[in-house]
Amino acid sequence: MTDSKETAVTADHPAGQRVEGPPTRAGFGRVLVAVYGILALAATGRASYELATKFDEAPLAYLLSLLAAVVYVLATVALWRGGTRWRGVAWASCSVELVGVLAVGIASLADENAFPESTVWSGFGSGYGYIPLVLPFVGLWWLWHTRPRVAEEGTPA
Amino acid sequence: MTVPLTVLVVVASLALAAWAGWFVYRDRPVILRQLWGASVVELLLVVEAVVAGVLLAGSESVSSPGLFWGYVAASLLVLPFAAAVAFAERTRWSSVVLLLAAVTVAFLQLRMTQVWQA
Repeated sequence: MTDSKETAVTADHPAGQRVEGPPTRAGFGRVLVAVYGILALAATGRASYELATKFDEAPLAYLLSLLAAVVYVLATVALWRGGTRWRGVAWASCSVELVGVLAVGIASLADENAFPESTVWSGFGSGYGYIPLVLPFVGLWWLWHTRPRVAEEGTPA
Repeated sequence: MTVPLTVLVVVASLALAAWAGWFVYRDRPVILRQLWGASVVELLLVVEAVVAGVLLAGSESVSSPGLFWGYVAASLLVLPFAAAVAFAERTRWSSVVLLLAAVTVAFLQLRMTQVWQA
């Protein structure tokens, strides 16, 4: 089901004008938002548990957990909301995730003691079925796929 | 946590997942009857949470209660969310979401069992 408001925006626009892309939350977007939501829940739960009970053991790793949680929550909300501004937030948060999971993954490969089983991103997200590794790629692809296009005359955007 | 109840939840949620998977294959959105199925699983989860609470109030104990109750809360949230999606998205993608939600419930049972035994 498409959002009627957003459909109305694309329905009657002058040719050559930048228009809203398809809603990021519809169709396959529902699945993306759902998976992001589950991961956001998992990361938030994990981070708050770690910070509350054993922050002193590994402050850096647990702060990274918190960062990951914030980024997943942001990505979930941004993909859900869509629109020009939230789309920008979604691009940013998916990119941060990609950099985060790759950086922490490589760091945990290079030095096993750097991030002991402590963050969502350790071992490229192996503790979460590598979903944290795959998800940013899928998210960026989806944002690209639903990007606003320059409308040409006679072609519906 | 009692083993028979956990097994029941896992079997029920995997059956729901298979049902949703069949609908994905047939390119159909979630139907109301599947949501009744989901509410049966949800009811089982509530019963399980109550039983766990009673056991923990008694002689049983769990090494990290915060973690355990976190999993309980998460597992209770997943299916209502999938139901909301089922109403909003009337395409096969709602079936994909229900499939993922049901698998997540089963997976969370595994994690809850691990925490309970630890």
